[in-house]
Amino acid sequence: MEFPISMLIVRRVKPLPYWVVPVLALAIGILVAIIILYGISGGQISPWDVLVSIGQGFLQPHLLAMTFILLSIVGVGLLVSFKGAIWNIGGEGQIYMGAMITVWVVLFSPIAMMPGLLGAFTMKITYLILAVILGGFWAFLSALPRAFLNLDEVPITLMMNYIAYYIVDILVRGPWHERKYGYLRTPTIPENSWFRTMVIRSNGHIFATTLSIELLIILIVVFIVAWFLLKYTTIGLYIKVLGNNPNLLRSSGINVKLIILLALTISGAIIGIVGAGYVAGITHNLSYPVEEKSAQYGYTGILVAWLSMLELIAVPVAAYIIAALYNAGINMQILGAGGAAVVNVFIGSILITYTALIMISEYKVRFIIKRRRG
Amino acid sequence: MAAEAKTDQKVFSPPLQPIISLRGITKRFPGVIALDHIDMDIYPGTIHALLGENGAGKSTLVKILYGIYTPDEGGILINDKPVTITSPMDAMMHGIVMVSQSPQVIDRLTIAENLILSLKKYGYFATLGRISKEIRAVAKEFNVKLDPNTEVWKLSYTQKQIVEFIRAMLLGAKVILIDEALTYLPIEEKKRFYEFIKNFKEKGGTVILITHKIYEALEAADMITVLRRGKNVGTLTRQEADIDKVRRLMFGERSKEITYERLPPGNPSGELLEIKDLWVRGDFGEYAVQGVSLKVRRGEVFAIAGVAGNGQKELIQAVVRIRPYDRGKIVLEGVDLKDKSTYYLRVNGVGYIPDLPARYGVSIENTIIENIAVLPTYARGLINWEKIRSLALKLIKEFEIKTPSPDTPVKFLSGGNIMKVLVARELNTATKLLVAYNPTRALDEATAIKVRKIIKEKVRSQGVGALIASEDLDEIFQIADRIAVMNSGRIVGVFEAEKAKREEVEKLMVM
Repeated sequence: MEFPISMLIVRRVKPLPYWVVPVLALAIGILVAIIILYGISGGQISPWDVLVSIGQGFLQPHLLAMTFILLSIVGVGLLVSFKGAIWNIGGEGQIYMGAMITVWVVLFSPIAMMPGLLGAFTMKITYLILAVILGGFWAFLSALPRAFLNLDEVPITLMMNYIAYYIVDILVRGPWHERKYGYLRTPTIPENSWFRTMVIRSNGHIFATTLSIELLIILIVVFIVAWFLLKYTTIGLYIKVLGNNPNLLRSSGINVKLIILLALTISGAIIGIVGAGYVAGITHNLSYPVEEKSAQYGYTGILVAWLSMLELIAVPVAAYIIAALYNAGINMQILGAGGAAVVNVFIGSILITYTALIMISEYKVRFIIKRRRG
Repeated sequence: MAAEAKTDQKVFSPPLQPIISLRGITKRFPGVIALDHIDMDIYPGTIHALLGENGAGKSTLVKILYGIYTPDEGGILINDKPVTITSPMDAMMHGIVMVSQSPQVIDRLTIAENLILSLKKYGYFATLGRISKEIRAVAKEFNVKLDPNTEVWKLSYTQKQIVEFIRAMLLGAKVILIDEALTYLPIEEKKRFYEFIKNFKEKGGTVILITHKIYEALEAADMITVLRRGKNVGTLTRQEADIDKVRRLMFGERSKEITYERLPPGNPSGELLEIKDLWVRGDFGEYAVQGVSLKVRRGEVFAIAGVAGNGQKELIQAVVRIRPYDRGKIVLEGVDLKDKSTYYLRVNGVGYIPDLPARYGVSIENTIIENIAVLPTYARGLINWEKIRSLALKLIKEFEIKTPSPDTPVKFLSGGNIMKVLVARELNTATKLLVAYNPTRALDEATAIKVRKIIKEKVRSQGVGALIASEDLDEIFQIADRIAVMNSGRIVGVFEAEKAKREEVEKLMVM
């Protein structure tokens, strides 16, 4: 006997609106995470607690501001190279190069420890510029074999992360090692070089936030620069065409190698800023071993870029969602439900659901009921 | 089945029962109706041509038959029973197999390996030895020579297409859809293919031949259905059809513009481009161009005739500097191009129309305006989108490009309209020199002639020089001021177009 219903997978003529997949991925991903957490905790972590934590996570912008800003910058940076189908997995390395140079500027360079407001300004401008240059340089190194030897950039950018980690490790264990207490870390950077977070005082109450106005301004500047680059410059257009048909660039007389170098370098330069923000805004030092201490924004940023479906305007939205889930993870730790790995459960579930669902943006599933023909 | 009454059955009488019937097929795309209630009957043992100008809906209709698209309204009957075809697999289960423009084969594998891969997928178990035997059997039956153990990269385009046909045979095809797969073959090889499909027909097979070339339909088909703007405007038997009747159906009023008269001659003045003893390597390291020398003057069309694969492509690519050359010289207005890049040529008024537009000439995911702005001729550094958009609107109007807007991604246009975007952009770029390879191949007759007229007019009035290689002799004789014949990498003859004789040119081409 023939089964009366058959399932068909059909190619879509018109792709789905681009927000459908990310929204579904989030919903299903969170559901999957809840089931996993419920299962592995033997019912200890109740779905309700998870939902409440997530709800709170979303409603605490003052707590997730820092993560949101840094992830947004990484997302924008990655988007620039992803638009050109150049898959920069090296965000971590680019971040740590930015972080490394920031520590050098404020602790060991000729302008280190400059006192006062003027000193703070000089140091900040210097390490931001150098973080951009170093992040860009680190990505540029990966871009060279991609452009000239046509080697896949994914493993190269990935491996460069470890080289960056170990360079920082060597510095932290060696010449930059703080001698006062003997921990494997650098000295704390001077307070006037920090990105200070806002404290709100009202009715005698004091609210701590993680919002740094300076970093917010940096995000806005980065966003506008990337928007302008992609929308109004030929380099931006060439990067977009590179992702679709490099042959057209060739027959138009555009140097394809140069565009590959630019796409990755610009991407790395933007992400380098996050290294400065990370040290000056959150950790205030670097400690050993980097690989374990890293907040891994370079990897989480990939999720942000993908959830944005490579639409610049959606990057902050995606970053806010991921930052909220980070925050939810912290809330759950406060509740005593699970450790730091909870965040990874969320992010992993969403990423894998997203990967599965991306198929439906191009294909649709149809059910056909077979009628008997007489 | 009232639609059957349309076909006149006086001379040629097909069997009464159609193998495939389309009933009221309608397909809408954002902004356009691609197919508007199409009814059509296809009879077994016939070659049925589906003709239409660019964007008439031919490809859409075939994709529906092959399950790549599904219709919004209407449906398909096979042997009078309604069927749902939602994937190529479904189509194959009903004995429908497509042979497309671009052969779906893996270059590194042998013919037998390629076929075993694609056949196993459909539940056909066979060893390499057995499949080789079957390939030989089919090849023999159809009178072609083919060693199943040849790697596919060694085959010519035609031979790859033959492999596709053999695959269709081994799949047990009852109906073969040929989507412009013959359009790009050289005439000689095309004739062999006609025999091939006629042979298939005599064995009871059915062929649906999709083409925008009228002569192809007239040469091979028993029945001809013409689509125009998504509607079936008439089905004729071969005996009823003549070129004027078909043209009127295809183009309506525009059919009056079709002429193969020689276009008015150019105004040659000074020398523009000189090529001296040029040697260029092909994709496999062999010398595809062997010591070519020629001169193109301002205000003339210098055309290169030749059978595909005689070095024209490599010569053209070397001139626009996307393929390196080993020896010789290319000089543009006194400047040696050895150390100049394609970029230099582009910003100095050189237009380039490559073969295979979707692969080399446009980026289909990007919009029309982006495909224009990508040329450094129109934007350097910053992009003034308003300027580009108004240029795009002008070109859309001038070339009658069918698109909802200049911001539409090129992939939503039909093949012919994609080619128009490319041709329009490049003609507008070419203020000095136009370099082209088969510039009108993907265009229907009326549009192709229009493009030739625009090229010639530009050459005459603005003193642009044009170097055009083409496999279409009609095109060459219509547009050229001078004709060179290229054979095995060499120029074997140059003629003044006025005095050139077609027979002589043809003789040199196949010599």
